[in-house]
Amino acid sequence: MKRWLKLAAGAAALTLATAGCAGSSGTDTAASSSGAPAQLSGDVTVWLMTGSAPATLTDALNKEFEAAHPGVKVKYEIQQWDGIQQKLTTALASGAPPDVIEIGNTQTAAFASNDGVLTDLTADKDSFNGAQWLKGLADSGTYEGKIYGVPFYAANREVIYRKDMFEQAGITKTPTSNDEWVDAIGKLKTKFGSDPDFQALYMPGQNWYALLSFIWDNGGDIAQPDGKNFKATLDSAGAKAGLDFYKKLVDTSGTKAPKDADEAKPQQATVYGAGKVAMMIGLPWEVATAAKTDPSLTAKTGAFAIPSKTAGQSAPVFLGGSNLAIPANSKNVAAAKEYIKLLSSPKYQSQLAAAGVVPGTSTDLTGLDKDPMGSVMAKASTNGKAVPASPKWGDVESGQNPVKDMLTAYLTGKKTLDQATADANAALNKLIGG
Amino acid sequence: MTATANVTMPAGATPPASPRDTRAKKRRRGRFGDRVLPYLLLLPALAAILVLLAWPLVQVLAISFRKLDIGQLVSGKTVWIGFDNYANTLSDPEFWTITVRTLVFTASIVAATILGGLLLAVLMRHLDPVVRIIVQVTLVLAWATPVIATTTVFQWIFDQQYGILNKTLDRLGFHSFIGFSWFSSGPSTLSVIGLLIVWQAVPFVTFSLYAGLIGVPREQYEAAGIDGAGPWQTFRAVTWPAIRPITTMVTFLSVLWDFNAFAQIWAIREGGPDGGSTTLAVVLYLKGIAGNHFGAAGAIATLMLIVLALITGRYIQLLTRTREGDLA
Repeated sequence: MKRWLKLAAGAAALTLATAGCAGSSGTDTAASSSGAPAQLSGDVTVWLMTGSAPATLTDALNKEFEAAHPGVKVKYEIQQWDGIQQKLTTALASGAPPDVIEIGNTQTAAFASNDGVLTDLTADKDSFNGAQWLKGLADSGTYEGKIYGVPFYAANREVIYRKDMFEQAGITKTPTSNDEWVDAIGKLKTKFGSDPDFQALYMPGQNWYALLSFIWDNGGDIAQPDGKNFKATLDSAGAKAGLDFYKKLVDTSGTKAPKDADEAKPQQATVYGAGKVAMMIGLPWEVATAAKTDPSLTAKTGAFAIPSKTAGQSAPVFLGGSNLAIPANSKNVAAAKEYIKLLSSPKYQSQLAAAGVVPGTSTDLTGLDKDPMGSVMAKASTNGKAVPASPKWGDVESGQNPVKDMLTAYLTGKKTLDQATADANAALNKLIGG
Repeated sequence: MTATANVTMPAGATPPASPRDTRAKKRRRGRFGDRVLPYLLLLPALAAILVLLAWPLVQVLAISFRKLDIGQLVSGKTVWIGFDNYANTLSDPEFWTITVRTLVFTASIVAATILGGLLLAVLMRHLDPVVRIIVQVTLVLAWATPVIATTTVFQWIFDQQYGILNKTLDRLGFHSFIGFSWFSSGPSTLSVIGLLIVWQAVPFVTFSLYAGLIGVPREQYEAAGIDGAGPWQTFRAVTWPAIRPITTMVTFLSVLWDFNAFAQIWAIREGGPDGGSTTLAVVLYLKGIAGNHFGAAGAIATLMLIVLALITGRYIQLLTRTREGDLA
């Protein structure tokens, strides 16, 4: 028996010792890659997200790339958003990660902030059409002055509205200030309020992207850089004013949306599709989702930029989108760079615009302007902002988001404005501060 | 024929030993094989336990003493930080609030599950066979429904605007329940989640206890009846002693399952509102999967293991000390 015990103890000690060096192979593979080598070879594995770029674009892109670099074979794989952070983490930790990856802009900092996870692309900015980068996206791909993510595409929210309802309610021009917006809500309610199911504005309690617009519009922010870290500023006057305006919209519109859920629960486009909603704050392509319920909505729907408190302006908007990056462990950095170079060229960027998103490395938005929903978005995108480029931002979004809790607590009256903002500020500081 | 051959032996006694000389010879011949064979036979099981249980456990322990964020994971660097993960976790007052909440939550739903299961098991014994089969099929269906499906149905039932519960309460005259939010506070949310978990756990407990109950001989009940015992006395004197070991076991299992419950809690409100229904399992997910802080998550996992070991210690003690079937 004793011998067995000794053996077991020995085994345990051994496992402890080896546990320490799990995965210690393949560290500095990608460190040396300078200049553009004349001859590229091998495979380049590309992971783009579902719905990012239309198949016509990627097919042409991959074909052109392989024709230009006869030695290289593109392995193009489409990924799903669901659980992508875990999948990327696992892939990056493996010895053979994909060579080009797409990372959501709010997740980029989490990857970029760690040494040796993503390849430093600072020196290559110019070859990726660096002069025309979309600022909000470029910020999210930069960490401590170094570039790890190349802007891919972005989209931002706008107010989607029913043109026919506006007309019947006697609203002749779309609101360009907060006051006009609230006025429009009042007129819509006067006209259609007799229908108990009618909602002038569908406004779920946790649409925190919309809240970001209001906070920025009032000169506030959710967090400020503080040396190397971030400091939450949800208790600032601007943030409070933004939150207050959110409540004003919820109260005056009498929306029946749940106060403790975001715009995806239930999908607001589906609610809009039922035809009893005059406005919602959403992304251009949500109209297509709504049109699945009622195809006539496509023709009846228009869009205007989220109004600002200053008449004639539009509020800053949250830029959602993606960056392109090259994992540090990539075996084919040179080919990956060439691939990103081609994708960021005006030819393919204009195709992205035509597909209905704001391209990341081109200021040419003519493709978007053809579509009324797209042109509104494109115009607002120039005033686009991103969430704090904190490496810990992932904790906020994939965990329990204090901004959402703050909204629900204030809208349901569980907390006062001061209490709600102070609590959320402390919770956010705990996540991203220090 | 000697007289001894006809002596009846008491049941369970050892049979007479075989003649000494042959046994000694055999032992000498097969000494090595006899000694090694049992261990060889144990080897596959031992290997499986080591690979599947001991190795991950050792890994979790080792990781809990490391800083293991995504950077370390990708670069493969090992950064030992001693007890920092534990110190950070234990010095957070919220961790203690959540631990107490988890313990109270676990205790309540285990108690409710066992009590409900016990009542249903006793009831099933007294039911007409046809009705009993209907009850059993119902229980199996409740048990067989996937966790997330059940959770979704519960969310619909308790929905603020369109939930059937609020509508029903309104029809019954409780008009204050129009638009009532069942998920507006932590305790209320946890009560709904608790109800959901109990609803899913009761069938297993009922069947286990019922299996124990049908093992009790009818005569014992008849004897109790002849002695004039009432229902409560019969339960205490006949039923309870018979099903006590199995009740201990299902309680133990329920504690393990309910303490680690995650899917239902996360699916209902992701530990909200405002962190009010966050339990230790949710914290573990937030740290490890959502936040990519695997070292800190390892520390929390280890602490959870210690808490579990403490509350189930008595049972484990009984398990290791007593013979099979003697749990009481």
